[in-house]
Amino acid sequence: MSEITQSIVLRADQVHAQTGTPARAPSVARPVRTVEMTSFGIAGRPTAVISLVTAVAILLAWWATSRFGLVSPLFLPAPAEVVTQFANIYRDGYAGASLGEHLFASLFRILTAAAIAIGLAIPVGLLMGVSRVAKGVLDTPIEFYWPLPPLSYLPLMIIWLGIGETSKITLLTLAMFAPICLSAQAGVRALPIERINAARSLGASRFQLFTDIVFPSALPEILTGIRIALGIGWGTLVAAELIASTRGIGFMIMSAAQFLATDVVFVGIFIIAACAFSSAAIVRLVETALVPWKGRT
Amino acid sequence: MLTVDQASVYFATRDGRTVQALDRVSIDIPDSGFVVALGASGCGKSTILNAIAGFLPLSEGTIALDGRPISGPGADRGVVFQKDTLLPWKTIADNVGLGLKFAGVSRAERRDRVEALLQLVGLADFSAAYPYELSGGMRQRVGIARALAPEPDILLMDEPFGALDSLTREQMQELLVSVWKRTGKRIFFITHSIEEALFLGTQVLVMSPRPGRIVGRFDPPFMRQFAESRDARAVKTAPEFAELREEIRAMLHATDTVKRDAA
Ligand SMILES: Nc1ncnc2c1ncn2[C@@H]1O[C@H](COP(=O)(O)OP(=O)(O)OP(=O)(O)O)[C@@H](O)[C@H]1O
Ligand SMILES: [Mg+2]
Repeated sequence: MSEITQSIVLRADQVHAQTGTPARAPSVARPVRTVEMTSFGIAGRPTAVISLVTAVAILLAWWATSRFGLVSPLFLPAPAEVVTQFANIYRDGYAGASLGEHLFASLFRILTAAAIAIGLAIPVGLLMGVSRVAKGVLDTPIEFYWPLPPLSYLPLMIIWLGIGETSKITLLTLAMFAPICLSAQAGVRALPIERINAARSLGASRFQLFTDIVFPSALPEILTGIRIALGIGWGTLVAAELIASTRGIGFMIMSAAQFLATDVVFVGIFIIAACAFSSAAIVRLVETALVPWKGRT
Repeated sequence: MLTVDQASVYFATRDGRTVQALDRVSIDIPDSGFVVALGASGCGKSTILNAIAGFLPLSEGTIALDGRPISGPGADRGVVFQKDTLLPWKTIADNVGLGLKFAGVSRAERRDRVEALLQLVGLADFSAAYPYELSGGMRQRVGIARALAPEPDILLMDEPFGALDSLTREQMQELLVSVWKRTGKRIFFITHSIEEALFLGTQVLVMSPRPGRIVGRFDPPFMRQFAESRDARAVKTAPEFAELREEIRAMLHATDTVKRDAA
């Protein structure tokens, strides 16, 4: 039945075409049901609402747990206590420094380390992607050190570089260097040879190939690497601030833990989480600004 | 004159055997000649083009451009690839101007020359667009403009219209003829379409596979006829066109191992 209707409709269209009815504009004013190709997996559909609901549910569970005394406040302080403690620290500071000073100390370390790691890892990674000698020489030390937990070489940092900012920043730099370097190499590996050949027959020198083709081609991978590196950096912050610190969010957490001030520990954790989330969001923004072509070449 | 002299290419396969992709191929491309290599899949067309472009060394034989032997890719040979190789992070204008940038041409001069080239391929309105905003045929035209920009001595084109629908393809062929006529460039063009070869080539080389060699040479008059008359239909439906087409078709059928094996 419906097949018959369809074929009649088709005929009607053909008649229109034959009688030369002007083609209708493709955009339509009346509401229509737009469709798209069935996708697989998440495929870019928004998950923000689900995530938000989950966050609220976890907060509710936390609140209920402490409200009904299921867990001792020593282990799990009430949400309200953490908020109060945050207000206290914000007003009075902690361990002789204001919250801003703690935050600034940590941010300074992370950002300095990130700048050094990005500045070194991108050229080194690209070089390792294109040069056999560079790859051969640098692969051994990098593959050796990067799976090590930063805490394990922390003592060496202290012995070699002392207890000042240098050892902390070096530790963070080392932790952040590897993911960027590896992703830059992966970016070069994914580079299609046609692109290189095209550029060479347009007269590109080796240096121009590097700056105009290899680097921009690897940029999406590099930015993914930077996002991962920042995550690792925040994750390593507490370890870095174990080194004779008097400032920093990581220091605040470790110091509070010694006094069993669980609420302060929670304040610190939330601050680090918020910082890590913001830095990832910033890299994502940079990504949409710098590589708008990603996924649609 | 671009001369390919007795070029042979052997590849090593993964399992340690050697396959011959080209067997003593000789080609002369005269100034303002339009030479088309025609053959079935796997007969070594891309291999010979890659060798001329300098992407692939020869096992035996020599290639020389105006007397200078070829030893690698260079801006004297422009290449248009089958798959478009535009840079997705650059605008159409910047893609076309890439070769000029490499050559150190100033920004202002670059802009003027790019504009003229985009005009030539009918894309003047798209200079600020990005490649992903263009259709396949448009991108292929950008590819041609980009290859022309550094004013190469010869244009090498590897099945540039292979992925286009037949209507767009015919438009592109006509565009290419007008580009050839206006710039007077030598062109080496690869296709597996007999019609395309006959319509475009001032010289058509028919190739056969395993190993790739040239089994026939023709000098069709049709492209010059079209360049004069601008009437593609008349040229393509002429009895001489059909006659030569059938002759070459028979030749390809006799040598095409794919179809012979399948039959
Ligand atoms: N790197 C390689 N290693 C081994 N064999 C190769 C290699 N490149 C090409 N060949 C072989 O050489 C022969 C010619 O290949 P070529 O790519 O030149 O064919 P073609 O004429 O361009 O075909 P198509 O029309 O499908 O593009 C093929 O038989 C192929 O198997
Ligand atoms: Mg090919």
